[in-house]
Amino acid sequence: MSRLTRLLGGAFAVLVGLFLIAPVAVTVASSLTTTSYVTFPPQGITLRWYAEVFQKPEFLSSFALSALVALAAAAISAVVGLAGGLAIHRYRFPGRGALEAVLSSAFAVPTIVLGIGLLQWFAQMGLASSPFTLLLAHLVLTVPYAVRLVLAGLAGLDRAAEKAAAGLGAAPFMVFWHVTLPAVRGALIGGAFFAFITSFDDLTVALFVVTTDLQTLPVRIFNYMQYDYDPTVTAIGTLMVLFAVVAVVVIERFVGVAKLFGADQDHK
Amino acid sequence: MTSTTTEAPAETAVRRGRLRLDGVRKVLGGKEVVSAVDLETEPGEFLTLLGPSGCGKTTTLNMVAGHLTADGGLIEVDGRDITAVPPHRRSMGMVFQSYALFPHMSIADNVAFGLRMRKVAASRRSKRVAEVLEMVGLDGMSERHPRQLSGGQQQRAALARALVIEPDLLLLDEPFSNLDAQLRVRLRDEVSALQRRIGTTTILVTHDQEEALAVSDRIAVMADGVIHQLGRPREIYLRPATDFVAQFIGEVNALDGVAAGPVAGGHACTVAGATVAATPAGDPPADGAAVRLYVRPEVVRIGTVERIGTVERAGSVEQPGTAGQTGTGDGDGLRGTVRDTRFLGSRIRCVVATAAGTVTAALPFDARVPGVGEEVTCSWRPSDASLAAR
Amino acid sequence: MAAVGRLAGGQVSGGASRPRRRTGLLLALPAIAIFALLFLAPLFTLVANSFRTQTGAFTLDNYARFLGDPFYRDVLWNTLKVAGMTTIGCLLVGYPFALYMRGRSARVRNWLALLLLSPLLISMVIRAYGWLVVLGPNGPVAAVFEAFGLTAPQLLYNDTAVLIGMVHVMLAYMVLPLMGSLDRIDPTLVPAAKGLGAPGWTCFWRITLPLSAPGMLAGAMIVFSLTASSFVTPAILGGPKVKLMPYFVYTQATTTLDWPYAAAIGFVLVVVTTGLLLGYARLLRRGNGDVVFG
Repeated sequence: MSRLTRLLGGAFAVLVGLFLIAPVAVTVASSLTTTSYVTFPPQGITLRWYAEVFQKPEFLSSFALSALVALAAAAISAVVGLAGGLAIHRYRFPGRGALEAVLSSAFAVPTIVLGIGLLQWFAQMGLASSPFTLLLAHLVLTVPYAVRLVLAGLAGLDRAAEKAAAGLGAAPFMVFWHVTLPAVRGALIGGAFFAFITSFDDLTVALFVVTTDLQTLPVRIFNYMQYDYDPTVTAIGTLMVLFAVVAVVVIERFVGVAKLFGADQDHK
Repeated sequence: MTSTTTEAPAETAVRRGRLRLDGVRKVLGGKEVVSAVDLETEPGEFLTLLGPSGCGKTTTLNMVAGHLTADGGLIEVDGRDITAVPPHRRSMGMVFQSYALFPHMSIADNVAFGLRMRKVAASRRSKRVAEVLEMVGLDGMSERHPRQLSGGQQQRAALARALVIEPDLLLLDEPFSNLDAQLRVRLRDEVSALQRRIGTTTILVTHDQEEALAVSDRIAVMADGVIHQLGRPREIYLRPATDFVAQFIGEVNALDGVAAGPVAGGHACTVAGATVAATPAGDPPADGAAVRLYVRPEVVRIGTVERIGTVERAGSVEQPGTAGQTGTGDGDGLRGTVRDTRFLGSRIRCVVATAAGTVTAALPFDARVPGVGEEVTCSWRPSDASLAAR
Repeated sequence: MAAVGRLAGGQVSGGASRPRRRTGLLLALPAIAIFALLFLAPLFTLVANSFRTQTGAFTLDNYARFLGDPFYRDVLWNTLKVAGMTTIGCLLVGYPFALYMRGRSARVRNWLALLLLSPLLISMVIRAYGWLVVLGPNGPVAAVFEAFGLTAPQLLYNDTAVLIGMVHVMLAYMVLPLMGSLDRIDPTLVPAAKGLGAPGWTCFWRITLPLSAPGMLAGAMIVFSLTASSFVTPAILGGPKVKLMPYFVYTQATTTLDWPYAAAIGFVLVVVTTGLLLGYARLLRRGNGDVVFG
């Protein structure tokens, strides 16, 4: 009886595992097909569709735009997250409660609502679509995570370690540099990488902010998919998956992926 | 810590490290947690701030270290006013309850930190680190990270880190409380021996009275932000000055009486009709003043009451080496009836009902045990008990 | 306020607390600016616009239109239906999976958690595209049907496709809180019940299931509200035939260009989803503060 349940349980878990990896596995596999339409299992093996990707300048420029915005979002999120996390953890200042409240409710507001809100607000402010407005829009998505990770890092730091450093002759900046910063280093690196993939992969908000001549990679793929059904998309998809895998390895190494989603509701 | 140190900084260190607190105050969250604390250490002294949690002892230590700023009063080290000096410009080696080792640095880097901040050259730095690690018995552990060490080893590393800078003062904030009972005793004895060897003035904060008694040259008992009593361990234990000190450090017999003038070796007073004596904790009380006696169970001697004809004679029989000495100056001690006796292993607990209330005695294990219901006298040497105004 | 600052600051007190507060504010300023200008302001704009006509006059028309038009009532209903079905789907797949995970070593559990979270870390366009391939006419599912000499049913551009795609992404949000709740069950309870003569199934029904209810509830809340507000996955897998609110927010804003109406639909969506989540969070906090996530 218990052996049978164990067996059934194992089989069920394998099925769920297959279900979870199916879309990615199929995308990667079918990117190698020699046919001019997407099929699984792939027929033959070719890298033709990868070559195709690099011959489409619109994809390359979209990639450049996405990467640039994502890099900026990662860097800014890390800095703003560090400063904001320190402020919330260490200081009392007017607006602290409000900031915390907004930080925790930002996760709960649908991304699409943020997208349309930003569209209308930018229009009202007379801000035309640009990589800059895209970056601003993405910061709203990424900064809450960065702050939260920094807060988690700071919570794990024994305040006495900072006192110890000061007592051993470290001036305030040296205490920050040698003790505080190393404690949140993992959070910063993990947060930055997460910000990068969040920005790089975002479609929902980007759809509202972009114009026809300013398309991020996800927007470009989304539009391409509407009328083209050739394996180029699977090749791009595979490349993006590789990108994500690298990011996940880094995040897992420094903070643990589960921590990003562990404590509350994220939006995708 | 088992090996002896090769280089003893004692010669230089013993001359410095005179800490003086003068009327130091601290208000936290609208409450005065430290009220006008005065304290002065001798160079090389091991002084303990003892008290329950919330008594202000850690706050006081943090003001000495500079992590908190005093709201009033003066803090001096070797005559230099450091009240407003930030912690990194003081020279205090502090060991925390949590050890507070830097988790991302090896033990060697942890210990070297203070030297790096002092811009000590790398070669000299590593030599000093090796010396100090050997001194605390951590040689061979230098490349480990804190989480790879046991609690006791972390504690030693924290001690090494604090000592390597040859601080004016060594500050220990409940350093043994995270260790299990056996290790706690061993480490505290090691730290005490080490302190004696290197002679750095040391302030220990603890709530553990046994620990305080075991390691200190002097103890300051604190409660509610004030020092209740400052004295050598023996004095603190045998002659408590206040109810709080008496109750906080072990069991005590508190007896109310009236002062009756000085006698040889103490001060007499009348307790429930009997005359007994003790040493005044402060200024001798005026005759007729209401006083309270504090007598530890360990110093109480039980004497038999012999009846020779109609004359009663009290005599001490059990306390080895004190036979024939009635100790109470002129009285015969308190008379009472044995209510209960219990063998507790190291001691025999004997409860005597007297006219002044219940007196508990802790007799040596080999003492003669009086029978329940037996008429006995309770007496003590005046120098082993204290009396204070009530 | 000054007393509070001093108490909480801990480090320094009295006169020093003022510069400390300024330092705190300075450090928080970038984050405050981002949230004020890029989160609160857009949301306020949205709410304000939802009460305006195209020309800017105050009106309640947008809401009246949404709630009065049977077509949009149907959209609202369909949104709730798809979200509800996804929630049930996640429970049916997620509960046994959580039970399976519970019996594994910490190491295996960590890998399984990573597996569960993997869909969230992959670009959502690519993920949805992958499902197009898997469920499409040239995909593996169709191939399996053909191998048995059957015609594959239409799996794309309908509620089923959206359901599959959404359960795929949302599974982690159901399983992780469930795990948290299952882990909190005293491991001696089930053996104790068995010792009292309860068979395995009864133990599950009477002990494990009720005690894991907080985790199920938390997971269900999150899955429901996130699904109701999802746009990309339903748009790609369901196409225009599957009528969901986020899709209409998008088309009203970018195709029809009726911004006030798009804003109103968006605001209704916020009320449904965010209201649910925040209300639930408040409920938790008012209870024993037992947060059951992950």
